[in-house]
Amino acid sequence: MDTFIQLTLNGLTLGSVYALIALGYSLVYGILKLLNFAHGDVFMVGTFIGFGALQLLGGTTNPVVPAWALLALITLAAMAGCAVLGVVIERFAYRPLRDAPRIAPLISALGVSFFIAYSMQLLFGSELRSYDMFSLSGGALYTDGFDIGNVRVPMIRIITILAAFVMMILLWLLVTRTRVGKAMRATSFDREAAAMMGIDIDKVIVFAFVLGSALAGAAGVLFALRIPTYATIGFLIGLKGFTAAVIGGIGSIPGAMAGGLVLGFAESYAQGYISTRWSDLLVFILLILFLVFRPQGILGKADIRKV
Amino acid sequence: MKRRGGIMLASAVTVAASLASTAGAGSNAVASSQAINCNSKLKIAIVAPFTGGAGFLGNEQLSWAKYAVKTLSSKYGLKIKLVTGDTPVEQGPAIAQTIAQKFIADKTVVAVLGPSTSGNVAASSQAFFQAGLAHISPSATRTSLTKGASKEATSAFFRVVPGDYIQGPTDANFMIKQGAKNVVLFDFQEPYSQGLASAAETVLKAKGVTTTRQSVANTVTDFSSFVTKVPSSADFVFFPTQKPADAQNFAQQLLEQGKKAKVFGGDGSNDASAFKVPGSFVSNFAPDISGFAYNKSIIAGWQKDNPKDTLGSFGPPAYLSTQVALNAIKKACDAGKGQIKDRRDVVRNVKKIVVKNSILGGDFRFSTKSNDPLNAKFYIFQIQSNGSYKLVG
Amino acid sequence: MSGGYDDELTRPLEGALEASTSEGPTSPAVGRDEWVARHGDNRTGRGGRIGKLEERLRVVPWWAWLATFVALFCLVPVVSDSGYVRRVAFDIAIYMLLALGLNVVVGWGGLLDLGYIAFFGIGAYAYALLSSDHYGVHLPSFVSIPLVVVIGATVGFLVGLPSRRLTGDYLAIVTLFFLQLFLTVTTNGDDLFGHNVTGGANGILNADPLSLFGHELPPTLEGGLFNPAYMYVVLAVFVVVYVALRFVNLSRTGRAWRSLREDPLAAEVMGMPVNSLKLMSFAFGAAIAALSGTFVTALSGSVFPLSFSFGILIIIYTMVILGGSGSQPGVVLGAVLIGILLELLRDPGDSRVLFYSAILVGVVAIYRFSVRLAVIVGGTLVFGIVVHSIAGAIDNGWVNGSGGEGGGVADFAANWVIVPVQLADWVAPVSYCLLVALALVLTLVHGWARIALLIPVLYLAAFVWENVMISQPEPTRYIILGVILIGLMIFRPTGILGEKRVEII
Repeated sequence: MDTFIQLTLNGLTLGSVYALIALGYSLVYGILKLLNFAHGDVFMVGTFIGFGALQLLGGTTNPVVPAWALLALITLAAMAGCAVLGVVIERFAYRPLRDAPRIAPLISALGVSFFIAYSMQLLFGSELRSYDMFSLSGGALYTDGFDIGNVRVPMIRIITILAAFVMMILLWLLVTRTRVGKAMRATSFDREAAAMMGIDIDKVIVFAFVLGSALAGAAGVLFALRIPTYATIGFLIGLKGFTAAVIGGIGSIPGAMAGGLVLGFAESYAQGYISTRWSDLLVFILLILFLVFRPQGILGKADIRKV
Repeated sequence: MKRRGGIMLASAVTVAASLASTAGAGSNAVASSQAINCNSKLKIAIVAPFTGGAGFLGNEQLSWAKYAVKTLSSKYGLKIKLVTGDTPVEQGPAIAQTIAQKFIADKTVVAVLGPSTSGNVAASSQAFFQAGLAHISPSATRTSLTKGASKEATSAFFRVVPGDYIQGPTDANFMIKQGAKNVVLFDFQEPYSQGLASAAETVLKAKGVTTTRQSVANTVTDFSSFVTKVPSSADFVFFPTQKPADAQNFAQQLLEQGKKAKVFGGDGSNDASAFKVPGSFVSNFAPDISGFAYNKSIIAGWQKDNPKDTLGSFGPPAYLSTQVALNAIKKACDAGKGQIKDRRDVVRNVKKIVVKNSILGGDFRFSTKSNDPLNAKFYIFQIQSNGSYKLVG
Repeated sequence: MSGGYDDELTRPLEGALEASTSEGPTSPAVGRDEWVARHGDNRTGRGGRIGKLEERLRVVPWWAWLATFVALFCLVPVVSDSGYVRRVAFDIAIYMLLALGLNVVVGWGGLLDLGYIAFFGIGAYAYALLSSDHYGVHLPSFVSIPLVVVIGATVGFLVGLPSRRLTGDYLAIVTLFFLQLFLTVTTNGDDLFGHNVTGGANGILNADPLSLFGHELPPTLEGGLFNPAYMYVVLAVFVVVYVALRFVNLSRTGRAWRSLREDPLAAEVMGMPVNSLKLMSFAFGAAIAALSGTFVTALSGSVFPLSFSFGILIIIYTMVILGGSGSQPGVVLGAVLIGILLELLRDPGDSRVLFYSAILVGVVAIYRFSVRLAVIVGGTLVFGIVVHSIAGAIDNGWVNGSGGEGGGVADFAANWVIVPVQLADWVAPVSYCLLVALALVLTLVHGWARIALLIPVLYLAAFVWENVMISQPEPTRYIILGVILIGLMIFRPTGILGEKRVEII
């Protein structure tokens, strides 16, 4: 039973991060029908910005601000930095290709992905960078917390899960309750009609990238709180985030959240109960099955192409 | 349908490329004479991953090799230039063959340091052997390179660090001496860790210890679920990673999930700045080299040249490899009276080399039976509460 | 307009978007008939001597180009006896084969296959399983290689099966996941239900070398040098595959592929077996990739999972897109260019020459021989000299770093570019990001402002190249490939020799 609780906790922690990344994919795909391969690398840049901000604020051994402020500041820094990065990518690598055949922005995205990942490796080397949250406040983030049965739920995981959920809820509110959100939904439904209704498409697209990239930056910090990061991590994590988006239904916001959690749990249980060696394989097969038999995912709508 | 710019652009680009490549090929020109004058500038090549996922390994080795060339070549009366061949692990062992060809073609290269990874040695040793190039590796530890029915490396291959067949059993025996009854062994689906884990597992099983083996992809950094699978009765987790930050992360997650098992890292996790969870163990093929008086000036000199780097465990063997190489070149020059008639002369001289007060502690010589170090040992350290490493076995 | 077609058919439909082209009335546009436009005999050409040269070159038959290319290629081992140069020639020949295969899938079939390298790996592993000590099976090459091709085609067919109904981006993802699957299976294949199938991370060793007519071809000659016979074999196979594919492209299948990628819906309506066509292009591409894999295994005598990563996929894609997807001579040219580029990057001296040549060629290509070109080149040189002197005057340590080996160009670089002895930590990231930012700004300004900005940017680029990028070929190569891909998609999606196509959505 303890194992099950621990594995569920692992899945929840990991899944929240995947969900945040998947949201970024969904937002962009919904409007542009573009698979933003570079999204995973934006996530990676978020982890590095958080690391840099952490060093600037004194590191975890000698922080110049209290622990809560430290965490909040580095998250905000990462979100801001990634938002800027996302806007730049959209403006220079995707906007010129908006009317090009669909294969063109895909390949451009591949190019951007490699460019960002290997620029990071060029500038900062390929070693692992650890936030070393263990040293913060004497390990308080790991020792504080509560217990479920015999399983300890440390503060650091609580922070990760709560922060992710809060952001997801805020995003959902933004998309469903505000005018901007309505504009985004309209654009994703029918770009030309939305333009004709007076919505500034360019601004909406930029806004989608800002949101998606900021979420990726936040996901980056939440991820790197517990796990060391390196320059080429973006590819694999991005792939997982994309898997989550597709499983949940790409283009759908609740779908991205659901997909992230499903993927987190699937990975965790597969590693824990089936086999550590083959857990990745099972996840890949799961995705391929989804794509072939239910491409719209769990919560998406079947895409009917009007001829 | 137009190909207006196409043909002209194609021709222009082709011409430019051929010009650039002939300029490039020129610098790889083969020296025409066979014998090499020892007074001229000789080259030692270092073949290691300087970029990519294992870049930290190659760069550390490079800094020490550079230092060795800088301080030792004049002592041997040689003018040496260090040339590099980058073999990123992401490109697989095939690149080792291409890089090998590059240095084989250049007749002024008289010795090679490396290849650093066992897979690259296996891929390129044959070519080096046929070209008569000695390749002395500071880090390729796979057992099957020099032992077993079909050795993967040739007689021109030497290594200055002991193979996994020493480290695995040493680590296992230490754990048994500490009273281990249940050990979980990890490997990362690459040759280094798989070889080590298998070697340790065999010894543990033979002594009746319950073992479980977990195989994790090399790209995994989130070990949460693997930690969950570690039984609460496990005493040790054998974790032969080459990234100390992963060992640190894993040890922390063990604590977080309340497991009592202690982490036992291999020689790849030796880094006091990255792996510092008290109570864990690491193993190394050298005792603390700063403990030897004669090393103090060497370490100080290296630190002065590399102020931003910390003393690690991958670098000093590269220093020793360079020293062995320089020694062998000198001997070949003396035998040929100021000339190296054939690179094979260098190979023939490597085996007999003895380095007194070597940087890794004690005298260094090669075993008579194989090209591995004689009487090599592994040393076990435990991490203290202040993060320092203390020799315990 | 020739052909006697009614004007009604060629006038743009009411409200249809006009494709923006700068070419003229017969160029393809949405709403117009591409076939008609292409076969209308109007062609705008250049005037003057270059125009005449172009016309002459245009009528050279394809086999003459192929023969010349092959002849030049064969001369490489004759001209240079360096094992290194010959080995690079072999590597490039393999790239050419792979590019041809990818061209079938992407260029002719119009399918974005991101798992292509998996077939390369399957071919390599299949050969290793059929001709090595692993299972003790030692089939001679002329049996195992065709067998591997068949296996490759079959696997390609099987992978293509579930992909029939998927649209472009979904297909890309499924194939990408297939590649990951392949990597996972091969890395862990030493324990598939208890059987050691793929040798795991240690790979399969002791694979047989090629054997032709009973003679074994050793991978290395006396002295450890690479055996150029391997290069000749691959070149011969390349010629066979090239010619075969050309005939396939000119056949019914080729025409069907063309109609499929121009307008899948119309093709289906006209009765084309769309699914079979897609499967065929998949199978062809996979077969060629598998074929390339056999030679690589035979030469190195071993196969490892690490050799088939995503990085190689990007390399092949850049080759295909740079050369022009859909055009066989184009992808071959792309393969040669990128292959040479990657090798040059490995050596700092060569990288330097490459960089300066590329800058010169680029600037000349954009500005032609004009006053502006002179201003740019002259201005950059002067700018550099001025800045270098100022920096040297402030602090000698700022400019006295060694330029490295490489003769004349290195000396020029050391005296013109600022190469500090010790690079402070912040210099590399700051100068790199500044360079990227300024380069992006360059695309926004025009005219003389652009030229004024270009001069310091060029100098900054030389600075970054010298100090940061030259010593790290691995990330640099992927950075350059990424930039090439982005640039190609935005400025010249058809590559060098590709055909202009219009996607009618």
